[in-house]
Formats: sequence, C-alpha cells, structure tokens
Amino acid sequence: MINHMGRFLFILLGLWVTGALAAPPQKVLHLELSAAETGFDPVMTSDLNTASIEQQLFESLLTYDYLARPVKLIPRLAAAMPTVTDQGRTWLFTLKRGVYFSPDPVFKGQKREVTAQDVVYTLMRFMDPKNRSPYKFLVEGKIIGLDELGEAARKTGHFDYDARIPGLEVLDRYTLKIRLKTTDYNFAHAMAQPMYGIVAREVIEGYAGDTASHPVGTGPYYLARWIRSSLMVLERNPNFRHEVWRFDPGNDPDSQRIAAQMQGKTIPQIDRVEIQVIEEAQSAWLSFGKGELDMIGLAGQFAPIALRGAHLKPSLAQRGIRLDRISDPSIAYYFINQQDPVLGGMSKEKIALRRAIFMAQNDEEMIRVIHKGQAVRNAYPIPEGVAGADPGYRSLLDYNPGEANRLLDRMGYAKGPDGYRRQPDGQPLAVRYTSSLSSQDRELDEMMKKALDRLAIRFESEKLKFPEILKAERQCRVQIRLSAWIADYPDGDNFMQLWYGPHTHENNGSCYQDPVWDRLYEKTLTLPDSPQRDALYHQLARLLELNGVTKVSTTHIRNVLSQPWVIGFKAHPILPSVWSLMDLDASRAPHP
Amino acid sequence: MNLTAFLFRRLWQMIPTMLGVVLLVFLLFNWVGGDPAYVLAGKMANPDDIANIRHQLGVDRPLWEQLLIFVRQIVTGDFGNSWATREPVSEIFRTRLGPSLVLLLPMLLLETVVAVVVALTVAAMRGSVLDRTLMVTSTVVMSISLLVYIIVGQYVFASLLGWFPVKGWSDDLWRNLTTYAVLPVLLGLMVSIAPSVRLYRTFILDEISQDYVRTARAKGLSERRILLVHVLRNAAIPIVTNVLMGLPALLTGAFLLERFFAIPGIGREIIMAVERSDFPIIKAATVYVALATLLANLLGDLLYRALDPRVQFE
Repeated sequence: MINHMGRFLFILLGLWVTGALAAPPQKVLHLELSAAETGFDPVMTSDLNTASIEQQLFESLLTYDYLARPVKLIPRLAAAMPTVTDQGRTWLFTLKRGVYFSPDPVFKGQKREVTAQDVVYTLMRFMDPKNRSPYKFLVEGKIIGLDELGEAARKTGHFDYDARIPGLEVLDRYTLKIRLKTTDYNFAHAMAQPMYGIVAREVIEGYAGDTASHPVGTGPYYLARWIRSSLMVLERNPNFRHEVWRFDPGNDPDSQRIAAQMQGKTIPQIDRVEIQVIEEAQSAWLSFGKGELDMIGLAGQFAPIALRGAHLKPSLAQRGIRLDRISDPSIAYYFINQQDPVLGGMSKEKIALRRAIFMAQNDEEMIRVIHKGQAVRNAYPIPEGVAGADPGYRSLLDYNPGEANRLLDRMGYAKGPDGYRRQPDGQPLAVRYTSSLSSQDRELDEMMKKALDRLAIRFESEKLKFPEILKAERQCRVQIRLSAWIADYPDGDNFMQLWYGPHTHENNGSCYQDPVWDRLYEKTLTLPDSPQRDALYHQLARLLELNGVTKVSTTHIRNVLSQPWVIGFKAHPILPSVWSLMDLDASRAPHP
Repeated sequence: MNLTAFLFRRLWQMIPTMLGVVLLVFLLFNWVGGDPAYVLAGKMANPDDIANIRHQLGVDRPLWEQLLIFVRQIVTGDFGNSWATREPVSEIFRTRLGPSLVLLLPMLLLETVVAVVVALTVAAMRGSVLDRTLMVTSTVVMSISLLVYIIVGQYVFASLLGWFPVKGWSDDLWRNLTTYAVLPVLLGLMVSIAPSVRLYRTFILDEISQDYVRTARAKGLSERRILLVHVLRNAAIPIVTNVLMGLPALLTGAFLLERFFAIPGIGREIIMAVERSDFPIIKAATVYVALATLLANLLGDLLYRALDPRVQFE
C-alpha cells in the first residue's frame, strides 16, 4: 500500500517538475494581409502591406513614438535624435552600439554589427537606377553628391558604391554626418520610413539578383518562412538587442491602459507572427469570427455589420472584441486639369465652372454611400494629425448646388434646347470623368453623374486601367478625377506638394502652375512646423479653392478589430505595423 | 498514315497556330495592356524615373525588337522575371501550379465521373420524373454564379457549421486534399457538374436512339450491358473531347476559389499580373495555355483512335 502511495506521489512530483520546467507556450500572433506582398528588399518596395512586414525585419535610424499623438519622432537605430545644424542642412546621427543583423549564412557564423557605413550604403542604394526605388524621392535632390552618382550610373550602367559622397561623411564607426543641398526640416521623417531600413552590403551583394527573398535586418523579427503571395512567418531575431517597452501614455485613457499592460516588458513579447494573404474581405471577416485571426482591418463593406456608428455592435463587444478607430492621415480630393482646353485656364468663367462642379459634389452622400460611414468630411488639404492641419478650416466649396447653378447662370453657361448647359460661346459642354474599372469606381461614376446632372452639365465617363490613369494624369490628359493621397510622413509638405508647379508630370495631377502659389509653397519649405508656416498653408489652401483647382472631400477612417487576448495594441497613423510592441494573453488564445 | 507521320504533321501544324497566338497576345498587350512603368515608379516619380523603368523593362525598344525577344523567350522557355515582384516567371509557375492542380484535378475527375454516371442514369430513364427533376435542377444550379456559391458556401459550411476551414493552405499535400481543398472543390463542382450532366445526357441519348442499340436489344442484351459497353463507348468520343477541352484551364487555375480560400494558386497570380500589367507573366500564361490546348487536341485525336478503331489518322 505504502509502495503504491509512494509511486503515486513520485509520479505526481515528476509531473509537477515537468510542468514547472516546461517552456511557456509560444505566443503566436495570427494576422492577414489584404494584398500580396511584393518582396522584401526595402529599397524596391512601396506598398503598405510589404512595408508592414519590413517594419519588423529592418530598422531605420528613426521611428515614431507608439503612443504620442500627434505623432512624434524618436530614435530607433540612432542612439539619440540627430543634431541638426546649419538651418536644417547638416544632420549628425550617432548609432546605437551593439546592434546586430539577424543571423545569415552570408555572415559565416559571425555576429555582424551595424555601422555608419551601412547607413551610407543603404542611402546610396536608393539612387542606383537598377533598383528603380519608388521611395527615392525622399532623398533625391537632397544629399550633396548623391544625385550625381546616380546620374553617372545611368550613363555608365554601373553604380560606384565605393565612391566618396561629400554629403555622406562617416566620422567614426558609429557616427554619420549627412549634409543636404538645401534646408529640409523633413529629412528626419525620411529616416523613419521602413523602406529606409538599414541593410548590410555583403548581404545585398551575396544575394544579388534575389535580394527580395533574403531580408536580413536588425529588427525584432526575421523571416523564418515565406510562401510567396500566401504566408509569411516571422520569428524572434535571436540577435535582437535588449529593449524595454517604455512609452509615455500622456493623458489618453486608452494609452494609459496599454502602458499599464506593457510598461517594462522586453521587446518583443510575441514569439512568432504568422501573416496570411487573404484578399477577400469576407474570408478575413469569417476567419476573425472563428478566432483564426487575432486582428483584422475592417473592410468597408463589413462596417455596417460590425459597427453601430463609431462603436462596436453589442454582440461583438460582449465577446471582448476591441475596436481601434483612427482617422487615417489621408485625403480624397477632386482635381481638375488646369491645362484642359474646356475646363482649364484662369478666366473668370472657367474658374466659375470649376468651382460650380466642385460645389455640386455631395460629400456627405459619398461618406454614406461609398464609405459606409467610414470617412469624415475634411476640406483642408492637410488631414488631421499631420503637422500643418487645420481642423477648423471652412471651405468655400461645400455642397451647394443652388449657388453652383447661380454661378453658372451668371457666367453665361446657358442651357441649350437639349436641357444641358453650353459654354458661354455657345459650344457644347461636357465633362469627362476619369476612373478605373473597379466596382467602387463605378459607384463613384454614378455620384459624379448625379453631381453634373444637378448642374445640367453633360457627363462623360473615361474608364481606364490604373496604370493608364496615372499615365494620362502625368501627361495632363485627365479632365477631372477623384484621387487620394496617404501620408508618407506626417507633415503638411507631403500633401501641399501635390499642387506645386514643378511637380506637373509627376504627381501634380491638376497640372496647376501658378507662380504666386509656387512662391508661397517654396517659402514653406524654408520653415519648420510653426504658426508662420501654418499661415502660409492656409493661404495656399484658400488659393486652391479660389482658383477652382481642387476640392478636398473626405478623410478615411481606419477600423481595426482585435480579439480579447490581444494586449497592448493601439493603431498608429504612420507606423505600418506595431507587432513587436504588443503582447498576447496566450492562456486565452484559442490556437497554440 | 502511320502514327509517327501523323504526330509529326500535327506538331508541324502547331507552329503557325502558336505564331498567331504570339502575335495576337503581343499586339493586344501593346494596344490595351497599359504602361506598368507608371505604377512601378511609385507615387512621386518624375519623367526620368519613368524613362529609366521603361528602359529596364525594354518597353522603349522598337516593337519588332520586343516581338523578337518574346519569340526567343518562348523558344528558350525563359520568360524572365515578373516586372512587379522581380520573381522569375518560371518560379512563379513552378510554385503556384501545384496548389491549383490540387484543387482542379480532383474537381475535373469528380466532375467527369459523377456527370457520366448521372447522365447515364437519367438517359436510361428518359422522360421519367427523375430525369425531368434532374434536368430542371441542373438548369437552376448552373444559372447561379460561382461567386454566390462561394459566398454562401463559405459562410454556411465553414463559418456557421464549422465543417470546413474558412480558408488556408499548407505544405502537406494530404492535408490540403483532405482539409483545405474539400469545400472549394465541392463548391466548384456545384457549378461545373450541371452543364456536363446535361451535355453528356445529350450525347448518350443520341447514341441510345441509334440502330445498333435497337439491334442489341433485339439480340437480348441487358440494358446495363447496352448502356455501359455499347452506348458509353460510342458516347465517349464527345465526352473525352469535352474533358480534354477543360485540361488547359488547369494551367490558369480557379481564380475565384483561390482568392476566397486564400489558396496560393496560379489563377490568383495571373489575375494579379493582369491588374499590374505584368507582361512577362501574362505572356507565359498565354503561351502555356495555347500550347496546352494544342497538345490536348492532339491527345484527343490519339484517344479517338484508341476508343474507336474505325477512326483513321489523316
């Protein structure tokens, strides 16, 4: 009997010891991407989905504070914020010491530390024509000597990575001085982009031709498994330095709740991130409902199912699901080609026609019908949360079809026998609206037709594939279009440059070339974020309306749903992903 | 004509057909394909950037030169890299074709077997309640779009009832076949079986009304033997033609099923390529499908001979 009892106790003890010594369960975060990734060489990528993964694999010199709103730059690979002198023309960066790239066979078993020379190499890659970098505009024309190297490479077909660039001076292993051609207070934002994550030259050269498949960075995770266009698995980077979650929550109760959960924890808390490409919103929604996904970005068509106004429906809230809802740093805006023979030009009647067309657009209806309530009216070219925004701005072009019709009557746009208006000289008048073949754009066509019907102006539709729209826009062939812009960096300049004359044939789709406007804009470039610059931005916005160049319509609302076991998540307006700053309550998660 | 001569002649005939396809694809792409440089260049590209990309892609070269490159790619089988992701096109087909086949081969097999069995059954009972009910049901079922089946099926069977996963894929073939591909295959069959049943029923009914069937019945052969041995054998030629015509579609995947069930197949990849104006992938897909169609036709001719010795190679 005693023997039996002893054996039983021994087994119990064994089980207890095994349980106590066993490793805690892995924390695995399950996520989705709504579109396929395009490869993981940061210099070559530009889409948000890929950037969200690169944000975890690579580290740029700077980043954004997780909780601060409005957003605030903080050091990432840099040991501190850069010293800026010479009126924003000289930037001195000092790197953190002991930061290592994730292990890779290229390093032959050695730990490879990040140095200032890696930063120089990374910046040089943006100007190498072979890389066709979509994000080179953030350094192009800025760093002394860098453009010239790119130009030489374009002629010779060879980019000289060993060349000495006057604007990129390595002072020692950890210190880099960057000298710019002109004042640029936004240069720090460029250094915070995930595309500007630092890479090692031997990795890029070691995997030449296939760098997109070999992302080796210093971020908290490395790419452990990749099935293209399907699945990406990130695992903790064993070389990641010891970093502690330490952010100031300020007075925001939500941030305070998150800080209480996360303060003092080491980064990252989550062991593994599994990201599946799920292009259909229904599939993501149903997977989330079954607990197979820990978080989803709520697609517009599911907003009426999940939300009542700005809040979760009780059925979801009762399950402990959380809603994070933020205004995206984006604008949707109508623009009219200022060089168009029918709508363009600066005569009074042309300006009146353009303003009337803008005033016939019913933004509230668009928010209700197209965005299913997940957008807000925003009339200012710089959206809320971005430096230079003016939430109190009052537009001259708010929806007012009565006033728009009176304006057209006054300017001689009389109606012909067919009931449609004609040009003051009696010529027929039709407005050609350019849009893509997507289903949402078909709905927008209907809205534009309704708007023009309100003015008795004949509507014509031009349907093009997206690349062709871009081409037509850059060749100043589009007449009117609804476009959108999301911030690359949270500064008003990133939006105001959309109407800068020299950016015609680039991204100034309205082909607006006004010397007065351009001079004011150029003045803003010499100023840091300040009331003085805000006043100039206000003048610029007003001129755009007065001249009938553009009408800013809405700003998109981003809704992110997370399961009850997700800890520490707060949607960030600029950072494409924050997975390393979150945690999971593994005991509540349904999947291992 | 013997088999070798027949094969040689048919293969030789493929060359002008392929050249026609190549020319058509090339002209269509250059006419309506869009200029990918404007997307690849990013949000803030200047005309120099666009020119640089166009130069790297080779779309700034004279059309005849581009056409020659295309022909060379077909001959060498090397279609270069995707313009959007820079992944080799050969790698794209190698890795994405597998998942599509895991989905489509069982679908094709099941569709053929089930449709033949059902068509034989209802043809044998022509005019009965069962026959009429099945024909009406087939018409209704094939009138509904695959998209509706997917949306409703995924919601009801995967989400509500939990019988299948909502989406997913793995590296394990068996797991894919028995877990992830089951619901997509069943939903695909909902759409594809009905037209096949109606078609095969017509083929079989055509045969049933032939004199040799009456003779067989007069000789006292059982209905089962008449149907399975005599009728089915003669109806097999159009059935095989129909099945073979579906083979090239295996190369293009099942776009909707792959997209909704997050299956990394070739169908999704081709649609993405069209959206991105990713010409190397479009070129490869078109050439492979054209080639597969020609080979399927050739295979069909060979099978006709095997099924009916009266068929001569000419």
